[in-house]
Amino acid sequence: MTAMLDIQHASKHFLGLRAVDDVSMSVKKGEIVSIIGPNGAGKTTFFNLITGQLAPTMGDVVFLGQKVNDLAPHQRAKIGMGRTFQISKPLIAMSVLENVMIGTFKNESSMNRAKEKAIEVLETVSMLDLAGKRSGDLTLSQRRRLEVARALALEPQIMLLDEVMAGLNQSEVSQSIELLQRLHAQGHTFLIIEHNLKVVRAFSERVLVLDQGRLIAEGSAEEILNAPEVIKAYLGEGHQWKKS
Amino acid sequence: MNKTNSNVSTHALIDSATSVWGKYLLGMFALALPGVLLYHDAHWINIIAFTYLMAGVAAAWNIIGGFGGQFSLGHGVFFSIGAYATARIYISFDLSPWLITLPIAVCAAAVAALISWPTFRLRGPFFAIATLAFNEVAFVLANHFDSLTGGPRGLMISFKASLGNMIFKDRWQYAILMFGFVALVVAVSVALRRTRLGYYLLAVREDEDSARASGIDVLKVKLQGMALSAALTSVGGTLFAMYLRFIDPPTLFTLPEVGVKFALISLIGGIGTIAGPVLGAVLIIPFENYLRAEFANSLPGMSLVILGFLMVMAALFMKKGVYGLLLDILQKIKGKKGDAP
Repeated sequence: MTAMLDIQHASKHFLGLRAVDDVSMSVKKGEIVSIIGPNGAGKTTFFNLITGQLAPTMGDVVFLGQKVNDLAPHQRAKIGMGRTFQISKPLIAMSVLENVMIGTFKNESSMNRAKEKAIEVLETVSMLDLAGKRSGDLTLSQRRRLEVARALALEPQIMLLDEVMAGLNQSEVSQSIELLQRLHAQGHTFLIIEHNLKVVRAFSERVLVLDQGRLIAEGSAEEILNAPEVIKAYLGEGHQWKKS
Repeated sequence: MNKTNSNVSTHALIDSATSVWGKYLLGMFALALPGVLLYHDAHWINIIAFTYLMAGVAAAWNIIGGFGGQFSLGHGVFFSIGAYATARIYISFDLSPWLITLPIAVCAAAVAALISWPTFRLRGPFFAIATLAFNEVAFVLANHFDSLTGGPRGLMISFKASLGNMIFKDRWQYAILMFGFVALVVAVSVALRRTRLGYYLLAVREDEDSARASGIDVLKVKLQGMALSAALTSVGGTLFAMYLRFIDPPTLFTLPEVGVKFALISLIGGIGTIAGPVLGAVLIIPFENYLRAEFANSLPGMSLVILGFLMVMAALFMKKGVYGLLLDILQKIKGKKGDAP
């Protein structure tokens, strides 16, 4: 089966800094792929190359068999990329429902239909009780969930989630994992940036490790967490993960 | 996190069409009332007619300035296009203003899209400054091309009262005309707020990057909002020209009287809301007239000092405008009632 998303030799240089350095990877339909790496490894920059917020210095982004290098972010969203932002960007003056409607309007031109679909999305992410709340008044974990809802509202082919669990407590993290697993079971495809290795271990089928802009390892979660180069990048040489 | 309550009433979250248009009719009725009551009072009906006009133009500005969050100070340009084009065509070709209002509005929309296209790359204050520059450039051009605009001497429309000429014997007839205008603009705003474009304008105002990630073509949405806003502003310019029957560059391009005033009225009334700009005009225009008359002899210019002070206060302490303040107060009263055992 061909890849849904295929990144070929993507690089992004900021003057002398190689934020992303010759990274190739792909995601197949229905997969959950995680990208991990220490702070400043280039994960978010890499995401921005995929979704079009940044143009790659070199390399290609191929999505659904189409080269999308020249498409603007909103065009990529239209053909099926739904993303979240690491620093969540709710439309704060609008209600939770209206935030999601902004997404459902992509495929629905009538307000009532967009609203109905938005309600379905909120039901899926268990946020219907918050529908009327001003999104600026949400807690951090609710905001993160709203980001997922807004991406989901686009009915995307692939969802790109940038640290949707950062800053959440244990029970909120498990709720999030449960949500993502549910969406995955419904056939959604994910590319996820995650900092929390426990989260990655819990549900990733394949893990990529970025360090200093380069792809240093790729494999199953267990393989990756025991790979010497990953331990070196995260903990330094000669250390081990704490038993948990 | 709470368990989702599937019985939550989601119908109340967005007002139904009936309720929204009901509110609209109620609001328009209240707005028409002073005009009906004072139609025989030559002094007041004049102020009321002008209030209706400014309410309509402020509401037109609010479409891009309030909903879309693009703080244009250059709407005087579109207003002037309406005024100049109407006066020039009426004087030179004797065409009824009723016939040419719409084509002129379309031209104003086109001009708006053309000059906004490069400026919409600018964000926040930089966009506002660029639009200020448009106003100044238009001022110079209007002075220069006197074969079209009459230059500094202006354009005078002779008094030939008839419905077809949009020139009336009585001031209350103008008040009806202006009321029709504000009713139209507010109706467009109400309808727009319930369309995809309306929602997209709000999304663009809130966060452009986030809007893009939702598949919104930000530039296109801004241009559509600006074109609609400019077209309606141009209609206001048409009415203004036929009402005053004399226009010249200082009347049309003095910022505190035109370009900036549209924004200020919306700001004071409640930017980005439907009722706000109308409320702002109802408060400011009569008050301004009163001040001007009161201090005309004793302290000329004092009215501007007082208005300026009030605007600074409003900007500092009433960020959501008078309308927002009223809503907050209403909310508090309701909240207190709800808390009572």
